[in-house]
Amino acid sequence: MHETLADFSLGRSIQPRGMIQKVGVIGCGAVGQEITRAISQYGIDIVFLDLDEDRIKLIFSQIEDQLDDVINHWGLTPGEKRAILSRIKGTTDYNDLADCDIVIESISSRKRGTSIEERKEIFKKVEAVVREDAIISSNIATLMISDLAAVLQHPERAIGIHFILPVHKSRMIEVVKGISSSDESYQQVIKFAGMINKKIVRVNESPGNIVTRMLVTTINEACEILMEGVASVSDIDTAMKESSGNIYGPFEMADRIGLDKILKYMDNLYQEFGDKKYKPSPIIKRLVRANYYGRITNRGFYNYESGKSVDQTVTCAVIK
Amino acid sequence: MKIIVLNCGSSSIKYQLFEMPSKMVLAKGIVDKIGLKGASIKHKREDGKEVKLEGEILDHQAGIQYLLGVLVSEKYGCIKSIDEIDAVGHRVVHAGEKFSGSVFITNEVIDALEECVDLAPLHNPPNLKGIYAMKELLPEVPQVGVFDTAFHQTMLPSAYLYGIPYSLYEKHKIRRYGFHGTSHKYVSMRACEILGLDINTQKIITCHLGNGASMAAIKNGKSVDTTMGMTPIEGLIMGTRCGDLDVGALLYIADKEETSIQYTSTLVNKFSGMLGISGVSSDMRDIELAANEGNERAKIALEMYQYRVRKYIGSYAAAMGGIDVIVFTGGIGENDTLTRTKSLEGLEFLGIELDTNKSMTSRGKEEVISNVDSKVKVIVVPTDEELMIATDTHDIVEKLGEANTF
Repeated sequence: MHETLADFSLGRSIQPRGMIQKVGVIGCGAVGQEITRAISQYGIDIVFLDLDEDRIKLIFSQIEDQLDDVINHWGLTPGEKRAILSRIKGTTDYNDLADCDIVIESISSRKRGTSIEERKEIFKKVEAVVREDAIISSNIATLMISDLAAVLQHPERAIGIHFILPVHKSRMIEVVKGISSSDESYQQVIKFAGMINKKIVRVNESPGNIVTRMLVTTINEACEILMEGVASVSDIDTAMKESSGNIYGPFEMADRIGLDKILKYMDNLYQEFGDKKYKPSPIIKRLVRANYYGRITNRGFYNYESGKSVDQTVTCAVIK
Repeated sequence: MKIIVLNCGSSSIKYQLFEMPSKMVLAKGIVDKIGLKGASIKHKREDGKEVKLEGEILDHQAGIQYLLGVLVSEKYGCIKSIDEIDAVGHRVVHAGEKFSGSVFITNEVIDALEECVDLAPLHNPPNLKGIYAMKELLPEVPQVGVFDTAFHQTMLPSAYLYGIPYSLYEKHKIRRYGFHGTSHKYVSMRACEILGLDINTQKIITCHLGNGASMAAIKNGKSVDTTMGMTPIEGLIMGTRCGDLDVGALLYIADKEETSIQYTSTLVNKFSGMLGISGVSSDMRDIELAANEGNERAKIALEMYQYRVRKYIGSYAAAMGGIDVIVFTGGIGENDTLTRTKSLEGLEFLGIELDTNKSMTSRGKEEVISNVDSKVKVIVVPTDEELMIATDTHDIVEKLGEANTF
């Protein structure tokens, strides 16, 4: 008979203390990929779910490109890259999420209109396959985790986790406890954050948490400054970077996240709070209407060539 | 006295069960891939019986439970009950300035080690996990901590301080600590035993040359200098670590290559050293093979390695006012005959006369490789950190027992 370790236990029961060994990510677009990379880097198995096999192939090649870029900047050895990739699996089948300890929904919020219904559907499908103590989470910025939890049989397992872009550089995540989230679930997410080397900022449920709310108002104010002709796009970015040590200026950040998404965040927050400071700036609306979404379309506040910004698309009003 | 020695890494535990003071190894093994898929225990008993067992090992405590389970098992074990274990010796990487020798682990010691976690964020936490697990599993059994840094605590400020504002030393304890202390201590003592010398009168240079490598200057049994510093990056060129490097160059690299602190750390820890220079491998055997086939960078890498060792021998001769004994140990020090021999080339003026024949052939065993009439004795001593830990643990527990009988 084949011997296993279990035959050599000391007779005392070994209490599994809810190790986090496998994480699921639903939707592996730009953000989902960043999350996938950041988690697998810390030795955790990850399975991402996306629409079809072609997408899965594309996602793997994109992740590989990103890892190669890190290697070129001395951040990773080729051996570590292989190890990271070996921990990532792609699937189109919800059943493959069955043994996940945490599942993070991270679908693209690019489509027009609210994505809340789609996310609710995903929550239901996930709950149907995972263990009873698995955490179901969503990487949401302006939506409410409690709204999503409401569709679950066990809403206490839902916790909001908001990753900050770029995920591998930012050192914190916002963790949102919903109305029915349990302390156990919250503790489990704290443990998870520790495993992937992120600090936690605990947020009482509120649209936009801290980061998104501050970000959109800053972008709106930057647009005001631009429209008034006070300074150019790149000068405003430079001022904000140099004065406060931010990695990105407000326009660079907006282009990175995507102006379509920014517009959605603003609409959601404006609807929620009714305060006009959240009302999307006309410049953002015009850019989005023209399909200037930022880096993803190579045009936003800046024009991009091979990932590098080359010039600005919006010039400010100047009195001559 | 049966003593179990544990060396807990981030996802592994190496263990050896000793009978002391006879130094007999009753069993040894490694618990691997803790908390990961494919976790296992590889176990070998003194009579050669071996086994690899697979299963789920959630954390260090579970790993230790299983290894104890194997040790008491009828089939692979060598003890009847875990009550037979008289003491536990732990390898702990960093003890900061807290301890200059091995210590009996108390709650105060654990607190002090927790304070050192910042200094060795990769190594100390798993070491502590092992201590916590044993404390829970064998609460009555004394535990002893043996520290990599402790042996070098005898260095003077002139050797351990960096030329940076003193306030940084006061604030963050930025200074040179050195590592491989257990190995340097063991091989220097053992070399004196073999040579019939009194360690308290000798000037010894120990060269621990492995994938990680360091040298120590040991005068009258006390470490007066060592090549590794605040971290294991300083000093000799290693497999993938750069060793001594101008910090100005590092700042320049970070600027030019736009690397973050984390990436720069990977650069000097994993991309550098023999691998980075040769572009071949971090393994000396591969590099020597490539050099023999005419690979220029492999040749340069080897010359750099030897030159760095030679330079430190010179500087340690100056630090101690002479040399009586040079000891080679570690995978390269014990087996890489060429590197060892070449490193000592041209040092006859210091009184080092190698028996080249012996030096080029002796592998993995205790052997004097200098000429009979060489002023400086050169000797190979395979390191045995586990035995050193067992010995320290034995001595401390014995003393503890004596103290308790009065």
